[in-house]
Amino acid sequence: MLQLAVPTAVFRCASVRSSLAAASRSSAWKLARESLNFTSRRGYAEVYSRAKPHMNIGTIGHVDHGKTTLTAAITKVLSSQGGAKFTDYSQIDKAPEEKARGITINSSHVEYETANRHYGHIDCPGHADYIKNMITGAAQMDGAIIVVSATDGQMPQTREHLLLARQVGVKRLVVFINKVDQIQDPEMLELVDMEMRDLLSTYNFDGENTPIIMGSALAALEGRSDDIGSKKIFELVEACDNWLELPPRDLEKPFLMPVEDVFSISGRGTVATGRVERGVANKGDDVEIVGLGNTFKTTLTGIEMFHKELDRGEAGDNMGCLLRGVKREQLRRGQVIVAPGSIKAVKKFQAQIYVLTKDEGGRYTPFMSNYRPQLFLRTADITVSLTFPEGTPDAAEKMVMPGDNVEMVCELVHDVAAEEGSRFTLREGGKTIGTGIVTKVIETA
Amino acid sequence: MFRRVPAVLPRCYSTKPLPKPSLKLVAELRKLTDVSITKAREALSASANDVDLALEWLKRDYITDGAKKAAKVEGRVAREGLISVAVLSPGARGRGGPGSGGVRAAMVELNCETDFVGRNELFGKLAADIAHTAAFISEPVDSDALFRNCDLDVLLNAPLMCADDEAWDIPPRIGNAIRETITKVGEKVSLRRAAVVVHDPLQQKQPELALRVASYVHGAINRPSQGRIGSLALLALKSPNLSALLQSTTFMENLEKLERSLGRQIVGFDTQRIRSDSGEKDETALYDQPFMMLPGELSGQPVQEALRQWIIQNGTAGEGADTQALEVLDFAKWTVGGAIEEASS
Repeated sequence: MLQLAVPTAVFRCASVRSSLAAASRSSAWKLARESLNFTSRRGYAEVYSRAKPHMNIGTIGHVDHGKTTLTAAITKVLSSQGGAKFTDYSQIDKAPEEKARGITINSSHVEYETANRHYGHIDCPGHADYIKNMITGAAQMDGAIIVVSATDGQMPQTREHLLLARQVGVKRLVVFINKVDQIQDPEMLELVDMEMRDLLSTYNFDGENTPIIMGSALAALEGRSDDIGSKKIFELVEACDNWLELPPRDLEKPFLMPVEDVFSISGRGTVATGRVERGVANKGDDVEIVGLGNTFKTTLTGIEMFHKELDRGEAGDNMGCLLRGVKREQLRRGQVIVAPGSIKAVKKFQAQIYVLTKDEGGRYTPFMSNYRPQLFLRTADITVSLTFPEGTPDAAEKMVMPGDNVEMVCELVHDVAAEEGSRFTLREGGKTIGTGIVTKVIETA
Repeated sequence: MFRRVPAVLPRCYSTKPLPKPSLKLVAELRKLTDVSITKAREALSASANDVDLALEWLKRDYITDGAKKAAKVEGRVAREGLISVAVLSPGARGRGGPGSGGVRAAMVELNCETDFVGRNELFGKLAADIAHTAAFISEPVDSDALFRNCDLDVLLNAPLMCADDEAWDIPPRIGNAIRETITKVGEKVSLRRAAVVVHDPLQQKQPELALRVASYVHGAINRPSQGRIGSLALLALKSPNLSALLQSTTFMENLEKLERSLGRQIVGFDTQRIRSDSGEKDETALYDQPFMMLPGELSGQPVQEALRQWIIQNGTAGEGADTQALEVLDFAKWTVGGAIEEASS
């Protein structure tokens, strides 16, 4: 299995989504060409037969605790098995220069894979930076590694690290206690472990079962003391594989297609077209039309793509849905066609919003409570009223400035299909002024 | 793997060799001080496992070791942090309030390397205390400059005062308190700038004139007085019937509302000066901006016009009413990581 990991890595690399940096992609291709020379046919076929599930993982920790060293060590150790391309310290630590140039997070210029998964790796330099990147979709952490030095133990700001993970919806963490070779009394590791589990529990993580790996990233990087070096790195990635939960893949989620256009075809009925966002639909399935004040059930009597009939449509397909007994007037752009009961029409929700700055093409001036821009969610376009969550002090006088990350309550004029994690943009007078992500549904239609 | 079954050995009460600090004591000392594990062990070893002595030891060590740490991180860039505002006395008010009615306020910028530390309570408290101290220790001076930049060296040598009720027996110097924070958070922490506005009340000499200070901080996380962008503005109020106005609760409430709006206006808009230099309409001049941050019917009018209308509506009617005025004399607006020369003249 391990020998096969090389070509697997290669093809997985080449087919990773667009989030991959162009540079690493081209190098992956180069690697691919080189390795093809000595890859057997059988290996070639097996590579195609399975794609490893992808997951985005982030490192969070104090500046001196060795996040970059750990990242470099992971790529080094996994590259020995063909699971990564060794990414040097200097290549990873571009963050300061990029920060100076105004680029906040370079998401995913590091990637590696284990026997079971493919990981995209990001570093998380700051709270506000990460939140902004998450809302705008530039960076995503499905799981995180908290890095803590054994010499210091957790620090006051470790609380803030955990709070960030909580806020962005990371449910599970893995902890790496670094620099274990630099302490004189191994008993102290027990204390680090104990305190960390305590803190994890305080912030609603599973303190008892969270894997805590103790090792030295530097030793792993320098290829010495395997007991605390490479061995621990393997343990760490194994813990990631076993403990961190994979986000469900688009194909596995319940069917959803936003309605882009509606046609009436004589002799056949009403057809809605759109691009399937997730899931799979088969001809004859029951479906539900949700949103814009008109939610009802019907049956999918036909699927069409490129003027050809199909039995099945899936995530990514641009297709037309023929719906039984539906009049053209009943369907509108902005509604969604979904697996029955999988999503609700929402009237009011709470969201985390990033307000674009002037330089990003956004507003020049602040706004206050009751601001009413247009909300675009999938194909829907609805007027929304923005207010502060209940209990916000001085809400009537609070202002929001361009560049702010802010939690707000969105009340829609019409209901629309939405759920936790749905993304939307806010526009006013023809320009995008903000982007957001639903964090809590407050009222359904 | 690293866990061991703790071997409980009877310990002699001799001083040599130094007893190994127990986990429990290290944990306790860390709960009390937030110092690193290595440091906590060192402190306990040096004080024969006595927590009180270890605390004393740490206090001395913050100064010596803190200075070493501070020197180590000196070269790093610290562009995150907080703008912290302290208003000890907002200026003229009715007889009900405490103090003489003078103006006493300060704004400071304290930097660190990541906003994780900037959001931490330890750092926030330090910034609040420094702002409080700056406002507290500054003397009123007879000069034309209404805002003064503090001499940072003087400030760093001043004893730190607690902004909230709890206080320490022997206050540390601000410089040492910063070094202590550096030891605890392991990041470069530096006091970038501090400015104060301190004036004695005018009512004695000019009973128709009063000074007020308006402030606003945007992007507050833990405390409303500190965040990413802050403003302090000094206002002058003129009325023939001033003392009566200042006694009126309604007037004071409206005035405070207006002050908060002015603070938000200065922060929310690109405000660089009070009046346009050229005489032409200038969006960076406060008086030319539409007063969007003022709730009510005057909202959206140019700030200068809105202030004029406001005093007509809220001031006294009758004799001398046309001499009433409300002016913004000066303001300062700072952004975390912004240039030092940002304070307006």
